[in-house]
Amino acid sequence: MSKINEVKELVEAGKSKKIGAAVQEALDAGSQPGDILQAMVDSMSVVGEKFSAGEIFVPEMLIAAKAMSKGVDVLRPLMAGDNSASLGTCIIGTVAGDLHDIGKNLVSMMIESAGFTVVDLGVDVSAEKFVAAIKENENVTLVACSGLLTTTMPALKEAVATIKASGLTGFKVIVGGAPVTPEYAAEIGADGYAADAGSAAVKAKELVM
Amino acid sequence: MNQRENFFAMLEGRKPEFIPNIMEVYKICIFGADRADQPLVGGLDAFGVNWVVTKEGEMPEPNRFMFEDIADWKEYVHFPDVDALGIEEAAKIELADVNRDEVIVNVYSPTGLFERLAAFMGFENALCSLVEDPESCQEFFEAFADYKIACMNRFIDAFQPDVITYFDDLATANGLFMSPAVYRSVIKPSHKRIIEAVTSRGVIFNQHTCGKCEKIIEDYVEMGAKMWSSAQVSNDLDGILEKYQGRLIVEGGWDSSGPASYNDATVEDIIAETVRCAKQYGPKGNFIFLPTLLNENGNAIFVGDPRLAPMIEAWHTVDKL
Repeated sequence: MSKINEVKELVEAGKSKKIGAAVQEALDAGSQPGDILQAMVDSMSVVGEKFSAGEIFVPEMLIAAKAMSKGVDVLRPLMAGDNSASLGTCIIGTVAGDLHDIGKNLVSMMIESAGFTVVDLGVDVSAEKFVAAIKENENVTLVACSGLLTTTMPALKEAVATIKASGLTGFKVIVGGAPVTPEYAAEIGADGYAADAGSAAVKAKELVM
Repeated sequence: MNQRENFFAMLEGRKPEFIPNIMEVYKICIFGADRADQPLVGGLDAFGVNWVVTKEGEMPEPNRFMFEDIADWKEYVHFPDVDALGIEEAAKIELADVNRDEVIVNVYSPTGLFERLAAFMGFENALCSLVEDPESCQEFFEAFADYKIACMNRFIDAFQPDVITYFDDLATANGLFMSPAVYRSVIKPSHKRIIEAVTSRGVIFNQHTCGKCEKIIEDYVEMGAKMWSSAQVSNDLDGILEKYQGRLIVEGGWDSSGPASYNDATVEDIIAETVRCAKQYGPKGNFIFLPTLLNENGNAIFVGDPRLAPMIEAWHTVDKL
C-alpha cells in the first residue's frame, strides 16, 4: 500500500496515534503536502457519506476528524502561506438563547475537515456577533448558524436576517439543527440547509465552489 | 377506573378505560434527583459539575470539563456519600399531599450512565472514549452504576414509588449517538444492573431516551423496562406500540420539533397535534400522552401557559380508544 493510501485509511479508521508518523512517512516518500492534505479531505468526505448513510455513528466520525487534525498538524509548517487548498473561512455558532453545542461542534469538525478555516463563536451567539465576526475575519466564504430548539428558531431567523441585511457580501449562510427543515431554511432566507454533519460538509463545499 | 387502576390495566396488557396524559396520571417526584444527580436551580452537583439552567431545562456548563481522558476518571470522580444526600427529607416534603390510591408515584432519576460521563468530560470526549478506550469506559460505568443503584435503593425506601424514570439520552433526532454494538458492549451491562436493581424491588422501570433510539428498544424491553419515554416521532411509534402491546407502555407521541412546539404555536396547532396523538396512538392502548408545549419562558407544563387548558380539554374530548 502506498504511504498516501495508508494515511487515507488511518483517517477513515480514526487512528490519531498513528497518523502523524504515517503523514511523515508519506512526506519522506516524496508525496507533496498538498496531495496528502487532499487525501485526508477525501477520506473525510467518505466518512461524512458513511455517517449520513447511517453506516457509522458519531464516535467514528469524531475520531476520524481527530485523526485528520493530527495529520494536518504535521503538514501545517510545510504549508504556511499556501492557501490554494483552502475553501475560505467559515464562521460558525449556535444562535442566541441556545446553549447546545454538540451538533454545532460536529458540523464545525466536518467543515474544517472539508478544507475550511473555522472560526467557532461558541454558543448563545447574537446576530450582531455573527456580523462582527464576518467583518473581523478575512476571506469569509461561509456562515453556519445552528439552533437545536424550537424556542430558538426565532433567533435563527433573526441571525440570518441580520447577516443578510448587514450589506456584507462574499459568503453564503447555511443553517441546521433538529427543528430546522429545508422549507424553514428557505423561508428565513438561508442559502443552504443540512440535516447532519456529514451533509453539512458536502453542502458547504457545494455553496462556495 | 381511576388514574391508578387504569394505569395498571395498561401495564398488565388489559384494555384501559381511557388513555392517560402525564399531567394527570402521575405525582412526579424530582427532589431526590435534586440532591443525588443535578440541582434543580443549577450550580454545583454532588460531584462538582456545574449545571446551568436554561428555559428548556438544565445542562452541564458548556466547555467546562472535569477531565478529558477517560483513563484519568478515578483521579477526578469522587462518589458522594449517599447517606448524606438527604433523600429521605426530600421524600417527606414531596409526598406530603400525595394520594397513593389515586395516582402513580413516579420518581425521576436523571443523568444516567452516558449523560453522567458526558457531564464530566463533554459529549465529544465521552463519545470518542466509547470507541477509543472502551475498557476505561466500562470501568467507569460499573462504578457509576454502583452509585446509581445505591441512590435507587434510597429512592425506593424513601418514596415507595410505583415507577422510577431513568434518564439517559443516547440518541439524536437522526439516530443513536453510538452504534448499537457499542451501546451493547460498553454501556448495556451496567445499564442492565441498574434496571434489575429497580425491578427486583417490584418497582416499574421507565426508560427515558429522547431522539431516534428505536434500534435499542428491544434491549430495553429485554432488560426489564416496562415503559419508554419521551417517545419522539422520529421513531416508528406505530410499529413500536403494536410490537410491544402488553409489554411496554410508550409515553410521548408529540412532534416536539414540529409547529405545535414552536413558541408561537396557535391553540389550533396545539389542538390539531393533540388530536393526532389521540387518534394515531390512543387505539393501541399502551400509550401515555406527553405533550411538549413551549413558550418564551420554557416548558409550559412547568411555567404555565393559557394554551394548556384548551389542549387538555381537547385531549379529554377526543375519542382515543
